[in-house]
Amino acid sequence: MAVQPTIASAPVVAGQDFHQDTTVKMFLLGAVGYFAIVGIIALIIAAKFVWPGFLGTISYFTYGRMRPLHVNGMLFGWLLAADMGLAYYIVPRLCGVKLWSEKLGVATSILWNIIIVSAIFSLLGGYQKGLEYADLPTPVAILVVIAWVMFGVNIFATIATRKYQQMYVSTWYLMGTILWTAFVYLTGNFATLLPGVTGVNQANLTWMYTHNAVGLIFTPAGLAVSYYFIPRASNTPLFSHKLSMIGFWSLAFVYVWTGAHHMIHGPISQWLQTISIVFSVMLLIPVWAVVYNFIATLKGQWHQLSDNISLKFLMSGTVFYLLTCFQGPMHSLRSVSAIVSKTDWIPGHAHMAVLGTFSFMAMAGVYYVVPRIFKTTLHSEALANWSFWLFLIGGLGMFTSLWLGGFWQGWQWNNPAIPFIDTVVALKAVWMVRFLSGIIIFSGIVLFMFNILSTAIGAGQRQTIAQPATAKA
Amino acid sequence: MLQKTDSNATWFVVAALGLFFIGGLLTTVAPPLLDKSWNKPFENTDPAKGPTGKLVGYTDQEMRGYRIYVREGCKYCHTQQVRTLQADTIRSGWKGVPAPVSTPDEFVNDYRQTFGTKRTGPDLARVGGKYNKQWHAAHFRNPRDLVPGSIMPPFPWIADNPQELDDLVAYLQTRGRAKDWRPDNDYEK
Repeated sequence: MAVQPTIASAPVVAGQDFHQDTTVKMFLLGAVGYFAIVGIIALIIAAKFVWPGFLGTISYFTYGRMRPLHVNGMLFGWLLAADMGLAYYIVPRLCGVKLWSEKLGVATSILWNIIIVSAIFSLLGGYQKGLEYADLPTPVAILVVIAWVMFGVNIFATIATRKYQQMYVSTWYLMGTILWTAFVYLTGNFATLLPGVTGVNQANLTWMYTHNAVGLIFTPAGLAVSYYFIPRASNTPLFSHKLSMIGFWSLAFVYVWTGAHHMIHGPISQWLQTISIVFSVMLLIPVWAVVYNFIATLKGQWHQLSDNISLKFLMSGTVFYLLTCFQGPMHSLRSVSAIVSKTDWIPGHAHMAVLGTFSFMAMAGVYYVVPRIFKTTLHSEALANWSFWLFLIGGLGMFTSLWLGGFWQGWQWNNPAIPFIDTVVALKAVWMVRFLSGIIIFSGIVLFMFNILSTAIGAGQRQTIAQPATAKA
Repeated sequence: MLQKTDSNATWFVVAALGLFFIGGLLTTVAPPLLDKSWNKPFENTDPAKGPTGKLVGYTDQEMRGYRIYVREGCKYCHTQQVRTLQADTIRSGWKGVPAPVSTPDEFVNDYRQTFGTKRTGPDLARVGGKYNKQWHAAHFRNPRDLVPGSIMPPFPWIADNPQELDDLVAYLQTRGRAKDWRPDNDYEK
């Protein structure tokens, strides 16, 4: 086997400039914008926990309609769009060729914006399927499928024309993302609606989708980004190609079995719960393989974190990945589930995965890519550094307050002598801390957006001066 | 075989989808074929086997209420499952009688599963018949009037719409009624 662990960090072949990157620009700038817009929604729903009457008498702004908008907006408007934009950047470079069709890419980006805008209006209007993560009404979900096929065709056609025979890990992960997402999305959005699919049957399909939306969409996309940018941003070869294969193929096999662990103790067959628990614990294998590979890559290079914004986000994302994927298997155990399931612990866990891990990785990519595709330097390194610390401190404040609060809540629920309403009142302080942490996180989002947009807008003016700084990239 | 996937995209696609479909099919298509209770409505006439009763279909009115429940995203805060935890059965109980555990056959008629993931408000799996329409009307108008400390949003657009209020309450009164578990059948209308 011709192992080339250095591929991602090798100098880019001559003629790097032949990449047009219009699609990358459109996807990334759109994603950054939606991050901030949906961030406002996030703050509003966090505020509603503290002041339940806030915006409460207007149906469009009620919690039950804003929460799906927050979830779908962040997942599809920000994170998936950012990951897709980064894929349009990474794959052509790893294949040594142009993107197969820039026009198709631009069309995909336009369609994606149509999807997000329709999602905002339909969800606030109460037009939703009523299935978690698959809340988007069917016409919008069909557009998502079309956009995904357009994305997949473009990426796979680029890979088919590649100049290098061997494919780097990031390429596998992105191919996996495209293939698995297709089936996972169809299951969650369409198989659930088949006639006769009701109740527990529907819930089981929903869980296959919801769980794998994180496990087989955002995980492989985020890892593709990290596998590419950790070696790139640190100019260090990846530690082990073989370890990355173990991580990838164990993920491909293990992840899909675990959906039913969301209904531990619930009305779903006990044997299915047990299967999901066994496979959930096995998830430690792909996670530890990946994390070890990332950490070992940085051996002797940790000093680079002090002035490298992308590496800061990437390595904190890696630590959050290790933590969130240790929590996950533990939650699936029946004894732990009896305490934490359905409590505020779970949003704490989910935000460490989607914000702490995968959004950190995507932001690292955006901070790295945007100055380069606009052929300039980042508007402000200092602001970027501020955004990192705001995300880290706000994120930790939110995660830890929700874990502590949720754990306490779970213990209270298990003592039926405590009336339910007392367990609600007990958490008010926790929700206040979560809201304040949300403000800190949102400030980070605003700085991130401002920095990226300024880099893009100011690109024309600084182009000539800044050129030497980007040359070594 | 997996080493071939490193440089051959076709092999890669076959392997990635193959591994995925083993678990994918065994955990989605197989379970409803193996566990009949997922698709067979609850019916029991033998008290020795647990609570008796029969799951009946939704009326048109209950169905309209069900759609309102989905539209307003109630399931984001209210679960509908009495889990196999003693505390759950007691919390969902009534006048000292613990509620029976939820079973798949009670949810066969649900066009949208409402099991939920987050219990910000109390579980609603056995709420049917606990509160009358008057209580629900006041509660939807301003939950804190009846439950101080509650953080449930007010729903004036439902409370002020007699048709929607009737429909939604009709739906709520069906929750958990397939199993006759309360002594003397003391259900509110």
